[in-house]
Amino acid sequence: MTSSFAKKIRSGDFFLVNLFSEAAFMGMHTPNSHSADEATFVGQLTECQLPLMLYVRALMPGDHAASDVIQQTNTKIWEKRADFEPGTNFKAWAFAIARFEVLNHRKQQARDARLRFSDELEVTVADELVALDDDLLQRHAALRECMKSLKPESRELLMCRYASAESLAEFSKRVGRSVGGIKVTLHRLRTKLADCIEQRLVATGEME
Amino acid sequence: MTPDERSTLLDSLLDGDISEADFLRLEAELIVDAEVRQEYYRRLQLGVLLEREAAESLLDPSVHAAAVLDTATDPAIEHATNDTSAARIKSSRMMLLAGTLLAIAASVFVVVPLIRGASEPQDLVAWDPNAATNSERVSRPESEPSASGFAILSGQSEAVWEGVAIGSGGLLPGGELHLKSGLVHLELFSGVQVVVQGEAIFSIDSPMQISMTRGRARAQVPNAAHGFRIKTAAGEVVDLGTEFAVDVTDDRSSVQVVDGEVELRPQGMTAVADSLRLLEGESVELMSDGQVSQTQTADLNLVGPVAFQKELAQSQSNRLQQWQAASERMRTDPRLIAHYQVDPSAEWSRQLVNLAAGRRDVASDGAVVAAQRVTDRWGRSGAALDFSRTGSRVRLDVPGSHRGLTLYCWVKINSLDRWYNSLFLTDGHEEREPHWQIMDDGRMFFSVKAPLAESQEEQSFSHKIYYSEPIWDTSLSGRWIMLATVYDVDAQQVIHYLNGKPVSREAIPAESLSEVIKIGPASICNWSQPMYRTDATFVVRNLNGVMDEFAMFSGALSPQEISEIYKVGDPY
Repeated sequence: MTSSFAKKIRSGDFFLVNLFSEAAFMGMHTPNSHSADEATFVGQLTECQLPLMLYVRALMPGDHAASDVIQQTNTKIWEKRADFEPGTNFKAWAFAIARFEVLNHRKQQARDARLRFSDELEVTVADELVALDDDLLQRHAALRECMKSLKPESRELLMCRYASAESLAEFSKRVGRSVGGIKVTLHRLRTKLADCIEQRLVATGEME
Repeated sequence: MTPDERSTLLDSLLDGDISEADFLRLEAELIVDAEVRQEYYRRLQLGVLLEREAAESLLDPSVHAAAVLDTATDPAIEHATNDTSAARIKSSRMMLLAGTLLAIAASVFVVVPLIRGASEPQDLVAWDPNAATNSERVSRPESEPSASGFAILSGQSEAVWEGVAIGSGGLLPGGELHLKSGLVHLELFSGVQVVVQGEAIFSIDSPMQISMTRGRARAQVPNAAHGFRIKTAAGEVVDLGTEFAVDVTDDRSSVQVVDGEVELRPQGMTAVADSLRLLEGESVELMSDGQVSQTQTADLNLVGPVAFQKELAQSQSNRLQQWQAASERMRTDPRLIAHYQVDPSAEWSRQLVNLAAGRRDVASDGAVVAAQRVTDRWGRSGAALDFSRTGSRVRLDVPGSHRGLTLYCWVKINSLDRWYNSLFLTDGHEEREPHWQIMDDGRMFFSVKAPLAESQEEQSFSHKIYYSEPIWDTSLSGRWIMLATVYDVDAQQVIHYLNGKPVSREAIPAESLSEVIKIGPASICNWSQPMYRTDATFVVRNLNGVMDEFAMFSGALSPQEISEIYKVGDPY
């Protein structure tokens, strides 16, 4: 099972389809009292996807292997689903598994030259992320509104960048601009969006 | 490390494009400073959300038709679909789970490109700079403000237009214009200045061409606009020098060169060789049959743009005096709570004297914060306040309680680039307090927070906002306008006015009627948030524009009174 998962991950397949098929398989062939719990579990895992991404990326900044680690984490979470005690903090439990997977990934990358945070900082970040306010959905809504204030070509540039896993150098080559120029543009756009999101969150917090 | 440097480094870190030295510097800050870590998390969140957004936009054909992945042939999706149909035929006991699975299958569609995108960038739409230009063109109406016209009306004297009157300073619409009488001064975007005398029928075809069916015009043409022409039935007049005049009737056109040189192209003669040149002081008549005759008679006797503007300035100065006299009379109106003008002689003063003197409980003088003195609508320097600098406002305190309220101000708005563009707001927003502002789409906004009746439950609380239709767009940018809003308790309605005319009228529902209005500490052209008392972060709501007069009355002024205030205050 694990090896076929690994293969699928490498071939660009993704976790949730496997999760889906496996859950369907279980549901169909082993009808039992667990199915309702399974459904809840699947719901929680689905909901937790964005926070998980955030968590893993925070510990692996700028590392594109992060998406592999996220998939690996999902796999592991599913395998360990029987260990989860319903009613306890799902996010904290899932993050703990993710943390382990990040460390595991590092071990496998034999002496990778990648920069990484000191252990001390990593522990701090990991702890703080568990406690980070849970307003990703509001932020997503705010982001959508804020995107409208960008010029169409800026929007398109951002969407292209975030749909791609290319390095900045590859991306800038593809869009025919200098790395420095692209960096400045993206930085400006992100800052604009970040400011806009904060303001929207403040604004929606008041009465009018 | 400056905040901007820091956020730049955070971006580099997340882009996987940071030098070791920068990494270590940033790490040092992350370790010691919780706020820097917060910023890091926010930046990460933004990235994750943008990734999701990018994934969804790839799947939404309306967003990115060309970029939709070929999901139909994706084996993973096929897999999911088959399983879904398989699940559907199983026993009813499984239906609940199947429903959940369907929901997951739906979420799968969202997740697909996230991961696929990560491994197969070549599947994505190529970033093409030319394509961007196209998409910009297509979506321009919603994204970039635009206005239409080749010229503005920079002044008019006793002008009567056929149809809707055109305001001074406004853009002249395309198509045929009919000036029935009076004089107008047009400023074309090429730099050409034209005075037109009615009766005249003409159209502005481009910044370099006017077609004239009838009427008199005198054009002053700068070097940059040589080649400017006036087309008439009898032929074309092309400017080669600086100033000329025409008098056009149905069958002939008289042309006189005031200064410089013009070229005449009589009707029917297309070759350049057939054209005639006319020098300073000369005048001719072109007949519609192509005949040309020299004349000595015609001194067209039409004032030039310079003389015209001088006259206008004189008449404007007369109007300024009338307005000042009217303001003086208004001071003693017992309904007047506050009336602020900017005294150009008190050059460095940050105090706005409240001119109201007709009642005991008038508002305090205003305290100017950050706003800078600029030219007012009468052209006097230092007699208006520019609120575009962040934080700009005028602070005031308004005592007492009022049965209804009337607010008016003269403003020149640069742009409505915030969601809320402040005119007058009480601090925070408590019961019975008014908020007056303009939305980013140009709608006027007025609300009074209704008091909570004792019997009312929290959920029946009603906070009604009275919007007008959009009254402002970029074509009004830089133009002085008068805005007014009346909260009429007796008639139970709210009326918004633009330039003395009602633009919207809405009944106040009984449950949100506030018979008494209270104000207290308040700001003109900005909002002081409640949390701002302790938190340095604030939302940007200052008006990006200039104001030179603000007044507040207890109770409701009538439409006639608003109209009078507008007429006497209109500088154009």
